[in-house]
Amino acid sequence: MNRLHRFFRTPEAIAGAIILALLIVMALAAPLLFPGDPQAIAGPTLLPPFQDWSLPLGTDRLGRDVLAELFHGARTSLAVGLAAAAAALLIGSVIGTLAGFAGGLIDEVLMRITDAFQTVPSFLLALAFVSIVGPSLSVVVAAIALGAWTGPARVARAEVLSIRERDYVAGARVIGMHPLEIAFREVLPNALPPVLALSSVIVAAAILTEAALSFLGLGDPNRVTWGGMIAEGRAVLRTAPFLSVVPGIALMLTVLGVYLAGEGVVESTAVRRSLS
Amino acid sequence: MTVLAVSSLAKRYRRGGKPFAAVDDVSFEIGRAETLALAGPSGSGKSTIARLVLRLIEPDAGRVDFEGADFLALSGAALRARRARIQMVFQDPLAAFNPRVTVARVLDDPLRIHGIAPRAERPRRIAALLERVGLDAGLAARAIHEISGGQRQRVAIARAIATRPTLIVLDEAVSALDVSVRGQILELLLDLQRQERIAYLFISHDLGVIRAVAHRVVILDAGRIAESGDARAVIANPRSAIGKALVAATPRLTRNRP
Repeated sequence: MNRLHRFFRTPEAIAGAIILALLIVMALAAPLLFPGDPQAIAGPTLLPPFQDWSLPLGTDRLGRDVLAELFHGARTSLAVGLAAAAAALLIGSVIGTLAGFAGGLIDEVLMRITDAFQTVPSFLLALAFVSIVGPSLSVVVAAIALGAWTGPARVARAEVLSIRERDYVAGARVIGMHPLEIAFREVLPNALPPVLALSSVIVAAAILTEAALSFLGLGDPNRVTWGGMIAEGRAVLRTAPFLSVVPGIALMLTVLGVYLAGEGVVESTAVRRSLS
Repeated sequence: MTVLAVSSLAKRYRRGGKPFAAVDDVSFEIGRAETLALAGPSGSGKSTIARLVLRLIEPDAGRVDFEGADFLALSGAALRARRARIQMVFQDPLAAFNPRVTVARVLDDPLRIHGIAPRAERPRRIAALLERVGLDAGLAARAIHEISGGQRQRVAIARAIATRPTLIVLDEAVSALDVSVRGQILELLLDLQRQERIAYLFISHDLGVIRAVAHRVVILDAGRIAESGDARAVIANPRSAIGKALVAATPRLTRNRP
């Protein structure tokens, strides 16, 4: 309760939470409000917004309902963003913990691999990965995670390096605990808070990367994505700019909402951490 | 019977590029149900010896024989299994525990790791351990950060005796406690020693406490043994310079006569 209070203290956190809540409602309600295939033709082509109230945001070049696409696109954006960030945080914290806790050669090898991944621009990495393996939702998630795990790995390692010198780690060794159990049960959970603080930035970046991949035609072709919608609209940017502007605004609001809400969470936990 | 025999133990560190000896040619023995105190000023190598004896750090030279076998020769699973017999209590009872766990988890770990009791029986064993160290069995469900410092140190002692060790290393185990709690914890340690015949390696800078609990004392200075012998005799009549300085520094209650 107390933590919720602290979270809702700043207007930024409230704004972020409202945007995120709306998005989640959009994503969950999409199949209820627009039960059919969002990629099916629903009316005349290039209908501008606010003309026909059965198609409030108009239609695109092929006559598809833009509002339905927007709702179903929210599903893809959120699912890919959250899944990719979760995968990146998981891989990063496991590798960072192993490197920091084991030290020596294992640390050296794992951190040089991390360096190698970090020197390649993450978007190019994702682009190359998707072009080789082929576009599908899980591949896109993996491709984005591939470029995003290095940050969490570094933060986790730095945190583990300080935690492994604490008395309770020595205490775990004294009672004969296996080193892997010490690393993942005693050290990793205590190293997580600063790693999780990265999650808002990673989710936001993952949503943008997914949109960029879709824009380049490397998204899952069976799903509506905001990036794909912007790419569709690009061809008629002069005559029907709303086709690019509407998903563009949705994308911007999503990234903003995720970031603000994430910052709110970090703020509210930062106070608690400094007290304890 | 000798529980622990340490001979010619040495550990060097580098400080600012120059090597210096944290522990230099230290030898001592501890018998069953005996308390050996390590005393000395800060930086004299007391805690380093504790960590060497427990294999938390590795020595540069010397031997550690525990229960008649070479303790330094063990590694991996054999070392972890052996650790059941030699336990430790830390100075800061808050830093010694994972901040996210409950009292029950603290005591469950050694029982589980060393296969002392099957899962179904462990809650009963945990309750018995808590009662053994003078705590209420209901404390098991509490988070470790919710209980007081004295209670936490009792939990640390309960964890140390969970595996029925023959030696417990007490690294300034009562230094962080306030005076009234300190007396109770020392009583508990003496009581456990009488009943379970546990040997203690008792590290402290407080000669008053050492005099009360230790049979023998080793006084360290800059990593070397300055003098050793019967605790009361050494404290009553120290021969080394550092021993004299430590005794002189012990606060005494002087009664103001009117």
